[in-house]
Amino acid sequence: MGLKEELLTLKEEITKNLEKASNIQTLEEVRTQFLGKKGRLKHILKTLGKLSPEERKEIGKLANSIKEYIEQQIKEKENILKNLLLQEKLQKEKVDITLPSFWLDIGASHPVISTLVEISEIFLSMGFSIEEGPEIEFEEYNFDMLNIPKDHPARDMQDTFFLNNGMLLRTHTSPVQIRTMLKRNPPIAMIAPGRVYRKDADPTHSPMFHQIEGLMIDKDITFKDLKGILKIFLENVFGKDIPIRFRPSYFPFTEPSAEVDIGCTVCKGKGCRVCKGTGWLEILGCGMVDPNVFKAVDIDPEEYTGFAFGLGIERITMLKYQIGDIRILFENNMNFNNQFKGLR
Amino acid sequence: MKVPYSWIKEFLDIEIPADKVAEKLNTTGIEAVSYKFGQYIPGLTTVKVLSVKKHPEKERLLITKVTDGKKEYQVITADQNIKEGQVVILAKTGAKLPNREIKPVTFGNIQSQGMFVSLQELGIEESSEGIFVLDEDTPIGIDASKLLGLGEEDIIEIEITPNRADVLSVKGLAREIGAIFDIKRKEKYPIVSIMQEIIPQIQLKTEKTYRYRGVIIKNIEVTQSPLNIRLRLIKAGQKPINNIVDATNYILLQEGQPLHAFDLDKIQGQIIVRQAKDGETITTLDREERKLKKTDIVIADEEKPIAIAGIIGGENTKVDQNTKNILLEAAVFDSISIRKTAKRLAVSTESSYRFERGVDIENLPNAQDKAVELILKTTQGKAVGEKDIYPKPYTPKLIHLREKTVLKVLGEVILKEESKEILERLEIPTEITDEGTVSTIPAFRKFDLEREIDLVEEVGRLKGFDNFAPSYPKLSLEGFKKSEEFKFEVQARDFLRANGLTEVVNYTFVGEQIYKTLGIEPPKIRIVNYLLKSQSIMRDNLAVSLIQTFQENIKYQNKDISIFEISSAFFPKHEEIRIGILVHGNIIKGYKYTQGENQFSTSVTWDFLKLKGLIESYIHSLGIFDILYKKTNIPYLHPFHSAQIDIQNQNIGYIGKIHPEKAQKLEIPENTYVAELKLRYIPRDLKEEPLKKGYLYTLYKQKDTVIFKELPKYPSVKRDLAFLVDENLELDKLIKALKESSKLIDKVELFDVYFVENGKKSIAFSVEFRASDRSLSDEEVNQEVENIIKQLQKSFKGLTLRV
Repeated sequence: MGLKEELLTLKEEITKNLEKASNIQTLEEVRTQFLGKKGRLKHILKTLGKLSPEERKEIGKLANSIKEYIEQQIKEKENILKNLLLQEKLQKEKVDITLPSFWLDIGASHPVISTLVEISEIFLSMGFSIEEGPEIEFEEYNFDMLNIPKDHPARDMQDTFFLNNGMLLRTHTSPVQIRTMLKRNPPIAMIAPGRVYRKDADPTHSPMFHQIEGLMIDKDITFKDLKGILKIFLENVFGKDIPIRFRPSYFPFTEPSAEVDIGCTVCKGKGCRVCKGTGWLEILGCGMVDPNVFKAVDIDPEEYTGFAFGLGIERITMLKYQIGDIRILFENNMNFNNQFKGLR
Repeated sequence: MKVPYSWIKEFLDIEIPADKVAEKLNTTGIEAVSYKFGQYIPGLTTVKVLSVKKHPEKERLLITKVTDGKKEYQVITADQNIKEGQVVILAKTGAKLPNREIKPVTFGNIQSQGMFVSLQELGIEESSEGIFVLDEDTPIGIDASKLLGLGEEDIIEIEITPNRADVLSVKGLAREIGAIFDIKRKEKYPIVSIMQEIIPQIQLKTEKTYRYRGVIIKNIEVTQSPLNIRLRLIKAGQKPINNIVDATNYILLQEGQPLHAFDLDKIQGQIIVRQAKDGETITTLDREERKLKKTDIVIADEEKPIAIAGIIGGENTKVDQNTKNILLEAAVFDSISIRKTAKRLAVSTESSYRFERGVDIENLPNAQDKAVELILKTTQGKAVGEKDIYPKPYTPKLIHLREKTVLKVLGEVILKEESKEILERLEIPTEITDEGTVSTIPAFRKFDLEREIDLVEEVGRLKGFDNFAPSYPKLSLEGFKKSEEFKFEVQARDFLRANGLTEVVNYTFVGEQIYKTLGIEPPKIRIVNYLLKSQSIMRDNLAVSLIQTFQENIKYQNKDISIFEISSAFFPKHEEIRIGILVHGNIIKGYKYTQGENQFSTSVTWDFLKLKGLIESYIHSLGIFDILYKKTNIPYLHPFHSAQIDIQNQNIGYIGKIHPEKAQKLEIPENTYVAELKLRYIPRDLKEEPLKKGYLYTLYKQKDTVIFKELPKYPSVKRDLAFLVDENLELDKLIKALKESSKLIDKVELFDVYFVENGKKSIAFSVEFRASDRSLSDEEVNQEVENIIKQLQKSFKGLTLRV
């Protein structure tokens, strides 16, 4: 057998061996066997010197191309084997990605506080400031200075909790109006969110609940401005197309006074149990600050006008989440609270 | 107030459907609904009673024969008042009453061909004493449903705001509806002749009575009122009693003027209107004996009080079946006085309701005369005398309404001519002036129309608030302030929720029991008129509420709990906004992988250090880092598992494990942890400064700003140091001392703590040394370590270095 044949046989052999190599180790063995210092190829090349220069040139060329071919084949095989190894490792690290996660979950928001914050932020972004006052209030701030004198039937509208220290639990957030007007001069644009109390407990009344009071005073604030601000507010809470109506009403601290209804959010105005068939939901009370209130805080009603409004947060919350009984809001049963995880 | 629409039509020529009227009333300021009176019931007919006899077997039953003019019926009834000649309503077999269908029934072998009905059975009265008896001249054989107006007659029910007493009558409501629809109101004035034969002797001895008019009617007979009067009263939600009482009620409803009829023969001598004497008593028509005070007004004769003025009559002068002569009273009393008395005695009558809100003093004689006219229509008799005491006749107030005020308040141009037109529709006489209008306020509106602004409202509401286009005010930024307190709380809330705590809202009032169980003094501020004793104390901490919330949740089988509340605690002079936290059980439950193969379930459970970590992390989020924990002795906390939290020597809260003994009493698990942080101080006194010491918000507002430090230029050298110390040594003291022991110490990290024998514990730190101006050599650091140890040994007895 000539050298040429020998080389070609070698090539065939190697190709077969490479195919058989199943891991990096056997591949290395193949490499040493054929290409190593004592390998078969070296062995063949050693006999090259016996050949004529032409033959040497031809066989040398062939040997080189076979060497390159083998190296190439080994490299490829190596890549395949490495990749197999990697795949095996990855396979071993397989996990069930659908297992429950292991991290703190977000706690639930209380829906009332969530509504209160949402509404407050609407007014904050309009430029209103947030004011506050104590929940244990002076009778004077809660009633008298708001044009609700003693023995006025309007005091009956709000069943008051009286305290043993001669004060009371504020029945509305309106005393914060008084406090703010006593502290600063107009212009004023404020809201006062907070807890208020009335002696009443049934599916629609809670002895403690939340209100937001609003007040805007300047030299030319009108009833139409009140309508504008409330329209912006209601549209931002209930959506752009919410129908709104203003019904004249009575509050001692505003004149004229109005109650604001929105189209029933449940039946869209057709009439249902929630809106008692009227298609409307009473949502807030408002009006132009009564001159007597201005006088009580030493603001000249000839110079300034202003509007005030007040709304119950629980009512809006109950409408929003279709909660029928107010009392569940304060039971703090986690089975209720945890339904409100995603709220802000 | 319920008003049959047909009654309103006596004052207005109006053809607008009742539901449209109600809708318009709503949008102009009177809450109103309209509905049909009862429900049409087929199979009801009027019948005359021909005979009544006892049932032969059934003791309490009567067998009657009745006729509808065409046919005779045998009807069995239990109503003992049925009499021959009466006309009653028969529900024939097949008639469907609201609660049942009439079927032929036999009582002891005798069949009843139908049933006589009461108003209760027709569904138009809550409870009836017997069957409804019609007038004897009522035609028989006619549809009784139609006769009563069942399902046909419109009722308008209104609710007034406290300022609108003028609408508390059929006439007043008609006036309002007339103004809304621009229909002129009509009125039929009474035609009565009152002789001046026997003039009532009346003395007015109190200033709290503004008018008192008495009319004597003689030789009357007390009977049943005619059907039309009775039906009106029934439709207005009242019970007919007799022709005299019904007449007073009828006029009260129609005119808004309360009236009272006394049996004249039971009055001893003169009528004296006076203040009551303290302790004086009177038994009122509801058979209650009532003790009076000198602030009450009474109507008295020469011996005794005979009525509590404006509220309720006395039993002693009541009109009964034998009454022959009456004194009919019409008066106007002081509303505040009536209100106080009615409230104290807890009586509210149609009369007191109206007096409290205001009665039209000028309409008094007109209304009273209508009552006299009505009485004399139902019975023989004669009005023989009258006396009217009216010390200060009404002088109407003039109110100017300027066009510019209307514009300033409503933002809408309403010309004076239009204002005049609107006000006159309300029956308020009005003239044009240069600036606007001037109105003469009639007595029926004197209670709510006192100022220019009140007229602005009248004009505005009748124009319709919905007709004003909204405008958008320019907000003046003068005096703008950012509302940081609000954001501070919102951020706290966001932080706590992000750390897995759920927000709760508790009542701020609690009961005494929880304080007793926790072994702490209940606060002094109490609700006097509480709803429940368990909701009568204003809490002075949040833990009392959070613990009760946990107890409730255990009942709901919610065993793991992580909750917080941001709310108020109450103190004699101030309030505090606090964060309250209560945790127990698992924080996280889930699975863990090992070696990429196995997964096993695992959990993280709340303990002292984790809650401490949460609180610390929150305080760090405020940019406050220097927090100190001190031993505390809060009675409901574990004495060695609790701490007060101090920042800059100010106590801002506490953290701890519930005392095991209390946990047992409370029936909550032992590993329950609570914490409270004082956020803000809320003063009650306006002049008091809210930024007080001892509150996180104050510390947050007053903290130093962060100043950037240059990054280190030279490398640090690390050394691990382990000390043996007394096992009772509080670690933070050692850490603090170590940090302060050398200027070269850059960082101290605790990496191991364990207890060894002989009352010692081993504490290992990794300490980094660094100088700002050079690289430190090993020798230099070794030298420094030796110094440090010597220094620490001085402050901590028995401290040794472990090797």
